[in-house]
Amino acid sequence: MHRHSRKILAPCAALVLCALALTGARAQTRMPRVEFKERRLANGIRVLSAADRSSPTVAIQVWYKVGSKDDPDGRSGFAHLFEHIMFKSTKNMKSEMMDRLTEDVGGMNNAFTADDVTVYYEVVPSNYLETLLWAEADRMGSLNVDDSSFKSERDVVKEEFRSRVLAPPYGRLLYLMEQKSFVKHPYKRPGIGSIEELEASSLADVQGFHSTFYRPDNATLVVVGDFDQPQLDAWVDKYFARVPKPDKPLPRVSVKEPARTGELRSVEFGQNVPLPAVAFTFLTPPKSDADTDALRVAEVILSGGESSRLYRTLVYEQQIAQQVSAGNDLREDASLFTYIAILASEKKPEDAERGLLAEIKKMQDAPVSPAELEKAKNQLVTGQLQERETNNGKALAIGDAAVLLGDPQRVNTDLARLERVTAADVQRVMKKYMTDANRLVIYYLPESMKKPAPAPGGAGAKTGGDAPANATKGGK
Amino acid sequence: MNLRDKIFRHAFYALALLVMTLALLSSAAFAQAPATQATPPPPAAPRAVKFPTPVERTLANGLRVVVVERHTTPLAAARLLVKTGGEADPAPLAGLADITASLLTKGTATRKAPEIAEQIEALGGSIESGARWDASQANIDAQASRLAPAMEILADVVRRPVFESEEIERLRQQYLDDTRVALGQPGAIARFVASRVIFGDDPYGHPLSGTLESVAQIKREDIVKFHETYYRPDNAVLVIGGDVTAADAFKLAEKLFGDWKKPAAAMPATPSRKASAGAKPRVVVIDKPDAGQAAVLVARVGINRADQDYFRGLVANSVLGGYSGRLNQEIRIKRGLSYGAGSSLEVRRDAGPFTATAQTKNESGAQVADLLLGELTRLANGDLPDAELTPRKSVLTGGFARDLETVGGLVGQVASLALYGLGFDEINTYVNSVQSITAADVKRFASARLASQDASVIVVGDAKKFLPALREKYPNVEVIPVAELNLNGGVLRQAAKAP
Repeated sequence: MHRHSRKILAPCAALVLCALALTGARAQTRMPRVEFKERRLANGIRVLSAADRSSPTVAIQVWYKVGSKDDPDGRSGFAHLFEHIMFKSTKNMKSEMMDRLTEDVGGMNNAFTADDVTVYYEVVPSNYLETLLWAEADRMGSLNVDDSSFKSERDVVKEEFRSRVLAPPYGRLLYLMEQKSFVKHPYKRPGIGSIEELEASSLADVQGFHSTFYRPDNATLVVVGDFDQPQLDAWVDKYFARVPKPDKPLPRVSVKEPARTGELRSVEFGQNVPLPAVAFTFLTPPKSDADTDALRVAEVILSGGESSRLYRTLVYEQQIAQQVSAGNDLREDASLFTYIAILASEKKPEDAERGLLAEIKKMQDAPVSPAELEKAKNQLVTGQLQERETNNGKALAIGDAAVLLGDPQRVNTDLARLERVTAADVQRVMKKYMTDANRLVIYYLPESMKKPAPAPGGAGAKTGGDAPANATKGGK
Repeated sequence: MNLRDKIFRHAFYALALLVMTLALLSSAAFAQAPATQATPPPPAAPRAVKFPTPVERTLANGLRVVVVERHTTPLAAARLLVKTGGEADPAPLAGLADITASLLTKGTATRKAPEIAEQIEALGGSIESGARWDASQANIDAQASRLAPAMEILADVVRRPVFESEEIERLRQQYLDDTRVALGQPGAIARFVASRVIFGDDPYGHPLSGTLESVAQIKREDIVKFHETYYRPDNAVLVIGGDVTAADAFKLAEKLFGDWKKPAAAMPATPSRKASAGAKPRVVVIDKPDAGQAAVLVARVGINRADQDYFRGLVANSVLGGYSGRLNQEIRIKRGLSYGAGSSLEVRRDAGPFTATAQTKNESGAQVADLLLGELTRLANGDLPDAELTPRKSVLTGGFARDLETVGGLVGQVASLALYGLGFDEINTYVNSVQSITAADVKRFASARLASQDASVIVVGDAKKFLPALREKYPNVEVIPVAELNLNGGVLRQAAKAP
């Protein structure tokens, strides 16, 4: 797509610099189109493939429409634990054979469990494509795990819990944000789970989960890179068509998270909290909602880079925060716009809350400037180019569009949608979602501050967040 | 699957373009796929991959300019490296190089800090600066069509920073707070402590970003002097890459850096490091009762980038580290003791650290230390069959190729070769160099350069849960409560003054 010319950002220090900036702004960048082929086999598996023969590697991904929200009752963290188990033995593969087929030949593999999906991916030299298609079909068709490897992997996941939640200073804050933001929807259970519920899970749960969710009509195969299309299609037919589709219906989460009706506040204390933090969350619409585009632009204006509003004001000018961020954690059923500010030394959480609220209010009271809007869009273009530099990145974009947005063509139309976002749209969504009644405020304080019991009853500020509190995202 | 018969093949063609096979060709390893599909189908013949070859030119003022073209995505990147970094920090001013470099983007003669951020981000680009051990660096990444205005900003920040007092104070506070946050993490503390244990009071011993005490002491005049002394064209390399032609890139470099004056005085020699390779190994526990997990680290002096053993070291490190490396096999995959165990052989201008590490529940701290050390010994003394060695070499060559897939990765790799004065043909010969390493090479390297008896052990966590077991094995373990930890010297204790 083409970028139109834009205005210069003030203030330019000297005429010559303005001229340079102008030249830059006029330049056009074409976003390369992703040309893909879509098929669906009789057993329901969807196949999306995009040939790119510029380097002899290929990325293979299998997206399963099952995520942490599908954790069985009393088994929080199970979808993620299960993802680990998928690297153990199947009918035809020994434990860790996936590593032999990828890592050992100069490739890589990994997987991640998000709220709504679980994604397995490999990047291999392209002459191994057929081998990996066989392997992915094999583990879709069967899992054959023994109790000792199950238990050992469960211990690994418990260590992952400690590494993500307990060891880092703000790990528990992200965990709490997730827990406290939803009251009804299973999103309230952090994807990483809890040690107790992980401990309670069994090998029987594993087989049940596999037969319930790991089936062709719940899967999307994405292949990007160096392949011959007819050859790929033939291999896909050969290995995937024979995976049977069960008769049972697929269970789907239908719980609706109720709208918030008043500000929620929470004060949490943690060991090992070097500097206090303030976090806000707001419920925002599902990922596929039309307002998501304007919220995406708002997120960049608030938090994209050192010229963003939150950094400029809270970190640079007022020096209230040491770090600040905001982002819309997109989910299929209800998203979460989060703000997190880690305070600068000697600052009070109330100051950060007030500062964040003031920035939100500014976005609600007046439209962002045309220059700011263009800057955000420019950053989004660069980000998309960078995400798609690799076959694996391109495959992630296609899978995301197909599985979470319901239309693989969105991979080619999303930038145009962002391009259409106006300053009025940004102002409108800020007003619509960043309301007092839709706000959760968390103060995350060191144990040492426990005595005075600072009830956060303050002006009600909105806080920016780091990465969304999506604890389960991450490697196998 | 039987890996024993796997054969690597690689081929090189052409002068301008390296052509190499990423993949291995295996025929015997896989049985013919039977109708049952109980075994994986065999790989096809591998295809070649081409890496671009950098070209270079030295400007009249001594600035070396390197360009590497890749036109697959409309992105471009530039890296300006001053070949002096944290190794030159004067002893009491740890963090000086890093703070100086970070301040580059915080104001120039014609742009205030917010204007720099505003202008580069308006272009959809980004700028960052900081120091590593042997270089001070400023990077820009941008859409290719906006490379020229982005590079104008790069040149401005490197050549004309003003180091305003207000910006120094602001950055100082951020550094102090960052350090406070880092000191809340067992893993970060373990790395800080390891550097002091290995390098003592020498350069490389201090945290690159300084300590709470050293950062508080750095004055504007120290920063200005560091910049004046080391930031000069004959001590710098500019690497430009991506969707830009070499001709255009050289033209830009000449226009933006051609009039950068080289000072008349010669460059001062880089302060040299005393050989701390002989430092006595220590066992150090940092007691942090609120740690949710223990960080266990085994550390010793490794090798430098120019070492003849570089590729032997890379392969040895790959046998130990990585997902299916021995450390993760033993600690995570077999025993479930950690989310991940690994190793790193950090090469610098002078010998950097070798570390093996894992985080584990506090109760397993001593067991994990044993396992880490045990693998060093086993690598030196035990068997290393080709069935294990061959895949670990593939991990290296495959990872190398994936690093080069992005413009940023490609430019970074070229910049690193330029920094150490190595030939760019290493990009072309990397696969060959890795493949030529034998099991005997690895074992020799492991016994001469990674011997466990010369390694120190550092455990940071809730000491009461692992100290008894650790003490049994190491009666001379030093236990330092985290509140008394002093990172300003090799002694590591607050009470004692660093020599």
